[in-house]
Amino acid sequence: MNKPNVDLSNHSNTGAINTDVLYLMHIHDSAFPIGSYTQSFGMETYIQSDQIRTKQDLLNYCHAYLFENLVYTDGIFVKEAYQLVEKDDWKQLIRLERICDASKNAVETREASRMMGKQFLQAILPVFEDEKLQTWKKYLDEGKIRGHFPIAYSIYTAQMKYDLYTTILTFLYSSTVSLVHNAVRAVPLGQKAGIEVIHQLIPKIAKAAEHVLDKSLQDLSNHAVGIEVASMQHRYLPSRLFIS
Amino acid sequence: MQALAKSSSLLKSDGKLELKFEKRRGKTRLIDCYQQPPLKASRGLYIDGTDHCTLYLMESSGGLVAGDHNEFTVHLKPGSNVTLMPQSATKVYPAFNDQPSSQQVTINLDEDARLEWNREEVIPFEDARFNSATSVQMTSSSSLLWAEILYPGREKRGETFAFRECHTHFEVWIDDDCLVYDALRLNPAEQMLKQLGVLEQFNYIANVWIVSPSMDENMDHNLGEILIQTDKHKSGITKLEGKGMLVRWISNDLPLLKKEVDRISTFIRKHYWK
Repeated sequence: MNKPNVDLSNHSNTGAINTDVLYLMHIHDSAFPIGSYTQSFGMETYIQSDQIRTKQDLLNYCHAYLFENLVYTDGIFVKEAYQLVEKDDWKQLIRLERICDASKNAVETREASRMMGKQFLQAILPVFEDEKLQTWKKYLDEGKIRGHFPIAYSIYTAQMKYDLYTTILTFLYSSTVSLVHNAVRAVPLGQKAGIEVIHQLIPKIAKAAEHVLDKSLQDLSNHAVGIEVASMQHRYLPSRLFIS
Repeated sequence: MQALAKSSSLLKSDGKLELKFEKRRGKTRLIDCYQQPPLKASRGLYIDGTDHCTLYLMESSGGLVAGDHNEFTVHLKPGSNVTLMPQSATKVYPAFNDQPSSQQVTINLDEDARLEWNREEVIPFEDARFNSATSVQMTSSSSLLWAEILYPGREKRGETFAFRECHTHFEVWIDDDCLVYDALRLNPAEQMLKQLGVLEQFNYIANVWIVSPSMDENMDHNLGEILIQTDKHKSGITKLEGKGMLVRWISNDLPLLKKEVDRISTFIRKHYWK
């Protein structure tokens, strides 16, 4: 299995490497303001129709979300964007972002991804003065791009020199875990159930990240149609806890 | 080995259909038609007594057999108004020689042109491999209605998701801007298709894509009123950047599915494409 570059057990590594881990933890802190706690990406529709009621339901749902949605959609965008940032290929990166936007059929999911990306840029830029991220923000302000989160995230991680596997792994982790946190509040489930689900998901997240490494833009697929239809139906729910 | 390769390439069919339409003397006319078997087009029919031209698309071989490739190229010149109706569903036979069958549809819509493709149906049989790519290049004044149903196989024979792969790709470009980039890659052996969130208990997937300058704010609401939601049949509607709309279904009720696809198409024709 590919191992992240950062090796926490090796104390002879300088402090710089360990602070790298802290920076990564910081942007994935649930208090980091990208608004993932307001997005359910269609899950709330299933919660309200009582199709996600138990810990096991949630685990099954997150498992499918991870392997049949994220691996075939945002995971691929994260990977492709990371490689384009490394190649400094802005033209293709902008094209990739257009495809990312056009591939998200459900308007709520499309807007959620844009919103999270914009909020990520707004939060990170004042403290991380990076030229590429600033260029990306300029493109956003000029209307050349829509700001989708997977792309913005990869620009940041590539510039921070996290390796590709770590980038994909942490993206999948935060996307899945924020769903669990949201489900704990919305179903509702106990904190203990949430922790158990996350612990069971962690090895699966690592497996999913390996799947993403084998994929490219040609593998893009919206076959998690249930999630997409749930996301389309979400805006018609009589009461909602989440934006999407 | 070489002889085998040669004979299998001889057996492969390469259907082609190239259609060009133009508005002449107040009517949309088929001005250019190149057909290579097994693909064939009917004459232009004027069903509703207007300038609007309807054509049936025919496939004389009965289906795609391992490695077959069909190619459709359609060009609508400014102001032309066309409905293309595939005469029957595309049946994809088992890929015994491992070769995927494929279909490519390339559509060009000039200013104020309007195309309805109603409807594309694909039935991938057991062990079938199918790749389809549809690409639409249009302008901000042209209109498109594309309806499609993807079958899980010959369901009445108990054949559901027994195909090896079924990959479809659909993209729409308005001038230089990509509005739709939708891919479905179904590989039943590798995927958890029956899970909640994926295809669940449903066997059929259907889409109606509408891209048109004559959209309005309430269109999704109006279309939503046509749709019935049951345990065996559900759908969602979403807007595409104020330029289009997608209705997507997952269902186990094929008659209802066909009825709703027709209702949506009729509604669009009646209220938005007057």
